[in-house]
Amino acid sequence: MAKNALGREIPDFIEGYGKTKPFQGAFALKPEGYRAGGKIRCVNSTCTDKRVSDIKAAIAASGLKSGMTVSFHHHLRNGDYVVNMVIDACAEMGIKNLTLFPTALFGVHKKLIEHIKNGVITRIMGSVNGPIGQLVSEGGMDVPVVLRSHGGRPRAVASGDVHIDVAFIAAPTADKYGNICGTQGQSACGSLGYAFTDAQYADCVVAVTDNLQPYPVAPVSISQVYADIVVEVPSIGDPAGIVSGTTKVTRDPLRLLIAKYASELIEASPYFKDGISFQTGAGGIPLAVTAFMKEAMIKKGIKGSFGLGGITGYFVELLKEGLVERLMDVQSFDLEAVRSIGENPKHIEISADWYANPWNSGAAVNMLDVVILGATEVDVNFNANVNTEADGALLHGTGGHQDTAAGAKLTIIAQPLLRGRIPCVTDNVYSVTTPGEVVDAIVTEYGITINPKRKDLLDACSAVKGLPLVSMDELVSRAHKMSGPTDPVATEDRIIGVVEWRDGTVIDVVRQLKTK
Amino acid sequence: MRRTMLYLPGNNPNMLTRGYLFGPDGLILDLEDAVAMAEKDTARILVQHFLKQGEFGKCEVTVRINGVDTEYWKDDLAAVVPFPVLQGVRAPKVDDANTVKIIDEELSMIEDKHGIPVGRTKIFCLLETAKGIWNAYDIASASPRVAAIIPGGEDLTADLKTSRSSEGTELDWARRMLVFAARAAGVDPIDTVFPRVTDDAGLRKETEFIKQLGFEGKSVIHPNQIPIIHDVFNPTEKEIEKALKIVAAAKEAAERGQGAVSVDGRMVDIPVVKRAEHTLVKAGLLEVK
Amino acid sequence: MNTAQAGTLESMDCLVTVSEAASGTGVKIQITGSSAARFKSAMEKKVSEVIASMGVKDIEISIQDNGALDIVLGARVEAAVKRLMGGER
Repeated sequence: MAKNALGREIPDFIEGYGKTKPFQGAFALKPEGYRAGGKIRCVNSTCTDKRVSDIKAAIAASGLKSGMTVSFHHHLRNGDYVVNMVIDACAEMGIKNLTLFPTALFGVHKKLIEHIKNGVITRIMGSVNGPIGQLVSEGGMDVPVVLRSHGGRPRAVASGDVHIDVAFIAAPTADKYGNICGTQGQSACGSLGYAFTDAQYADCVVAVTDNLQPYPVAPVSISQVYADIVVEVPSIGDPAGIVSGTTKVTRDPLRLLIAKYASELIEASPYFKDGISFQTGAGGIPLAVTAFMKEAMIKKGIKGSFGLGGITGYFVELLKEGLVERLMDVQSFDLEAVRSIGENPKHIEISADWYANPWNSGAAVNMLDVVILGATEVDVNFNANVNTEADGALLHGTGGHQDTAAGAKLTIIAQPLLRGRIPCVTDNVYSVTTPGEVVDAIVTEYGITINPKRKDLLDACSAVKGLPLVSMDELVSRAHKMSGPTDPVATEDRIIGVVEWRDGTVIDVVRQLKTK
Repeated sequence: MRRTMLYLPGNNPNMLTRGYLFGPDGLILDLEDAVAMAEKDTARILVQHFLKQGEFGKCEVTVRINGVDTEYWKDDLAAVVPFPVLQGVRAPKVDDANTVKIIDEELSMIEDKHGIPVGRTKIFCLLETAKGIWNAYDIASASPRVAAIIPGGEDLTADLKTSRSSEGTELDWARRMLVFAARAAGVDPIDTVFPRVTDDAGLRKETEFIKQLGFEGKSVIHPNQIPIIHDVFNPTEKEIEKALKIVAAAKEAAERGQGAVSVDGRMVDIPVVKRAEHTLVKAGLLEVK
Repeated sequence: MNTAQAGTLESMDCLVTVSEAASGTGVKIQITGSSAARFKSAMEKKVSEVIASMGVKDIEISIQDNGALDIVLGARVEAAVKRLMGGER
């Protein structure tokens, strides 16, 4: 057992995970050697059609066998049919002992629980939430889940930590030779950013589509040079669950209040000038921050350079109005974003690798000025936990949290201090996802709390009259006063989750909950 | 300052906890219309706990009690008046000076019993009937406790046997009458609520109108209305600049022992300086004297 | 058995149900809901304080919590007990 750079106890070896590398600091570990790769293929003109008849034929043709690793991407979100379809088929074909390697899972995937219980899936590397998170937290899997960020995942693949045997790509549009397009078809989801690395590194790539079009389709996201098999199915997803309608700015007064403070912090920062770049995602508070920033940008005549990450219609509006010059889109959240990425050359599709991988020649997050994030809890050292709920159960994937925090010049966590009685600021977070060294400020309904290491930011904010600055000491003592002392989470010794920092070192572990 | 007085439903823990965070000038913990008949007892206890231990920031704290024609109002007063944080009560359906006197006497009795200086608890009178509006001046001057008079919205409209319009035609005369009565009696005229909580443009227009009539502020039913109303009532940058100049010149003159000064070639006397100071107070640049 | 309730299941509130208990059975507290996992001890302490301050010795209290802070919890318990003693509903 060793303590990592944050003082967290990390065993040298974790059953089902292997030897650990303890977290050494956000930018400490430097890679060596060469990238890993998938199997070399050779396809000649004897093959002009990669189609097979159905999903089982695709699985058979892919060479997928018990014990292998299968990967999926989550652009179809809660509307996705592909993960359940593939795993159901594997179960029927007697394939067992699979490692599931999704970019994220959603509520719709709770059907996988039966396949975890019957041994079809024995390991998950990726976010687990809702009922699957609860199952894992209570010890429902023998092997710990591995949580990686959106950038940590392609890093793990490219560096050889994870080898993908078969990648299944949900393709809203495809042709018979495996060119894939995300912006057309009844299941259009826009960007296919998370699927790129899987397509590049898997031994076999299967495109699953419900909109087969004549060769060649255009535009192309992922090209024929990566796809080995194409399979047409009646439907890859439920459009209602894939994209939301219009993304509207919240009218909830608490969220608006927090968003207003966050926007005031950004305006006070040295980054609020021409060329500002930002990522705000689709959550209620971040979206409202964007709305307040838009007002401020117009008022002060400031124009931004790019918006990054998950893109909403609200960001598209900023692009159209010339308040940002480009959108770099790894995931398109709503109909407007899907339409825009298909039509507007200034709205570009980027892969997760491009977006956030710490081990390439420079990810987009490095160019980011400001990011607004959330968290279940943040501690007095500004360490943030996004993976577990207050009761200790795994609840959320890491998403781009670590990567954007590490990349952005100003990382803001904006969150109500209290969700009911549960405070978001504590003495020591239950589990660390993102270290305090890359978190610059917390914004709550009680004001703006700046990480003391950012004295420059503190000075900039103190110079602006009327900014509600609250020290971390004040904030945490307020949380104590209102919520009272917390009872410890009752856990077993067994580790059920390993939280990797984006460089593959272990930043924390999550232990099994004691059953009541 | 009473630009905004925000109603907080008396049986709603969420709003009672967070209401002050939205930065209104005043809070009205509501035991009357926002509370169902069957929950009058629990709301009263909840409001008591908040008056005892809750946080209200810099807000002026008041409680809206039930009307003197109900069985609740005396219990309401007995429950809330003893707490030092309470600055006043908002009384509904005040029709005449006598209603004020009844409440005044009850307040004096409770204050006396609890060793509170008699007269500490102010009364904010809601004039919700035609009769109440007609008696506005008498009500405003019925007791030194009266801090403000406020026209009713829905109830008054009903009493006038008309309906609420977006232009507020039906309330027009009542509003003007109320400003005159309040100013004549030396109390604050505060406007009624704007009920359409998602109509930001409508709220801005109405607030501009009532500010021009002479109102000090407005009652508020949703936190999102606060920034809009403050924006209307806050002095403009030009007004602030001018006020700063006047106050600075007056201070300099006072230091030199001079009475009158001139700013930009215009003589500035005491009322002008006072108005400039008032502007700076509203802009948050000067503490209330 | 005589019971009474106060509170709601709205956010930051709780629904308190109190029942008369036979003399000598003491105070029994049951807490379920969103904060129970991490704040049970703090909540039990608050409830016990309120009960003691009201001079009640034997009672059963069940709390369905949706994020009530102590200030709210105290008010709801007090209201429920007052209703029980007053014989309301």
